[in-house]
Amino acid sequence: MWKKLPILIALSIGFGILARNTGLSSHQALSISIFSASILGTLFFWDFRLSFAFIGVSILLISKAIDLENVVRFASLEVILFLVGMMILVGLLKDSGFFAWLIGLILRIKNLNSDKFFIAISFISALLACVVDEVTSIVFVVAAVLEICDYFEVDPTPFLITSILATNIGSSGTVLGNPIGILIAAKSGLTFEDFLVKAFPLMILSLLVAIFVLKFWYRKALADLDKKIKEFGYNEMLVKLVSVPPERDLKVSLAIFAATLFFIAIHRRLELFWGLQPNTVLLTMPLISSGLVMIWKRTKARKYVEKDVEWWTLLFFMLLFAQAGTLKFTGATDVLAKNLLGLANNSVSMLMSIVLWVSAIGSSVLDNVVLVAAFIPIIQSFHDLNINLQPLWWALLFGGCFGGNITMVGSTANIVALGILEKERGVRLSFFRWFWVGLTVGLITTSIVWLALVFLPFFG
Amino acid sequence: MKIKEIMTRDVRSIDPKDNVFDVLVQLFKTKISGLPIIDKQGKLMGVFTERDALSYVLPSYIQKVGKFIYEENPKSIKKKFSELINTKVTEIMRKEVITTTEETTLCEAARIMMTERARRLPVVDLEGKVVGIVARCDILKALAKEAEMSLGR
Repeated sequence: MWKKLPILIALSIGFGILARNTGLSSHQALSISIFSASILGTLFFWDFRLSFAFIGVSILLISKAIDLENVVRFASLEVILFLVGMMILVGLLKDSGFFAWLIGLILRIKNLNSDKFFIAISFISALLACVVDEVTSIVFVVAAVLEICDYFEVDPTPFLITSILATNIGSSGTVLGNPIGILIAAKSGLTFEDFLVKAFPLMILSLLVAIFVLKFWYRKALADLDKKIKEFGYNEMLVKLVSVPPERDLKVSLAIFAATLFFIAIHRRLELFWGLQPNTVLLTMPLISSGLVMIWKRTKARKYVEKDVEWWTLLFFMLLFAQAGTLKFTGATDVLAKNLLGLANNSVSMLMSIVLWVSAIGSSVLDNVVLVAAFIPIIQSFHDLNINLQPLWWALLFGGCFGGNITMVGSTANIVALGILEKERGVRLSFFRWFWVGLTVGLITTSIVWLALVFLPFFG
Repeated sequence: MKIKEIMTRDVRSIDPKDNVFDVLVQLFKTKISGLPIIDKQGKLMGVFTERDALSYVLPSYIQKVGKFIYEENPKSIKKKFSELINTKVTEIMRKEVITTTEETTLCEAARIMMTERARRLPVVDLEGKVVGIVARCDILKALAKEAEMSLGR
């Protein structure tokens, strides 16, 4: 720790001095310095990220770079409450056996062969990541993949990597797939329907191409699985491996979740119909549903709030958003936006390409929420420069999600799934075993998005 | 009353070189659910209980998956159990062990057991060497004695 700390301090002071020397005010330079310390803190000291965020916000307040009122405003409570509500609902779904039921569905695939298995886990990973967050969904897919690979005595690694890559791709499909989805939706004015109409089809296209690439990449592993399936015959034991009790709870929980998804999906129509502020229905639906859940399951309400809500992460997000907001508050992002626009020769396409590739490469080493939080105030600053923002928001979303595939630490889903693989099977993946396949899929899928955003006016 | 007055001084322990399977055999023979692992210098390395063996054998994701019922025994469990013979007990023992000292009072030891959910506490000296062990039943018996009651032998 003590070796990295001086590097972090030197770099963040360096960024501050650089900013001051390029004409930024002392408050702007300080906000850049503190924010870069927080970003580097997440990179060097992941376990201490909350400490960095606490101290960083306090320094910004004491140095008057921002005031209390704006810290609260930029902390984006609406996004945090949305995530709290969704986490409570996911807690209920877990309790009702929904995820075990899904695992059972994968285990019960009829006339199993390697192609069916491969396509099923890819689609289930991607679609599950669309409706619950990617970190939750990957655990269940990993469980199913490990059980099936154990049964047929094949190496689970290729199938696990495939599920993780599909999960990261899938997480871009809706507002719910990734915290950056709701963050972008809340700040951009894009609706859930916009995501369904624009992001979802592009996600499916990227997924199909990724499956094609991965099927070729892992052709030997697929052939091995086919051989083993023929050798072992029907997966009879897997079919009845797990069951879910009691069914009534599962049905009611699914109904609550489906209703929540339905109202979230039509949130903008309801807001217009009732004359509400944009995003009011989007952000309150999870709260209404989780409120009802806490009445229905009153004895477990505290457990859902205390155990299923990841307060550590959410607190970090709040303070991170406040720090990124300081960049906007001090006007630092306006200067950055102007410089970036000059660099892009005043071209939206060029600007979009920069946002897409920088966010993809950046999120391969950084937490994508950190990166997106940094980009949001810059993109908002483009608004004052009369730039069409929509392609930039999509570039940020896809760059942030797909970039996570490039390295094994690129997204939390990767870390969680590979952690289970190591603990369960003692398989410790080398950096390059992941990197080559991750880079290939990451580059190809990001290029698809880039082509779509450049050549399809639909995204403009 | 202090812990030194009630602790068991002859501490049964596990050899760090033992494999998990042999340790389980040892536990079943002595009808004890867990034992400390002590190195050659007499220092405490960790604790191993039957629970640690079960948690090693079962998939680590079962707590995250939520509610479900195993209708069959997964193949992986059989395989993992057969690996116990090649697994050193030090690989799956718990290294963070709550300990106590000889001068600790009965109530303090009881408080530690309650708050840390420990069934037994190794007693260590200033150098970290194990000098005894105290279990919940030892504390209860001693408390009964202080209340001038008896819980039998």
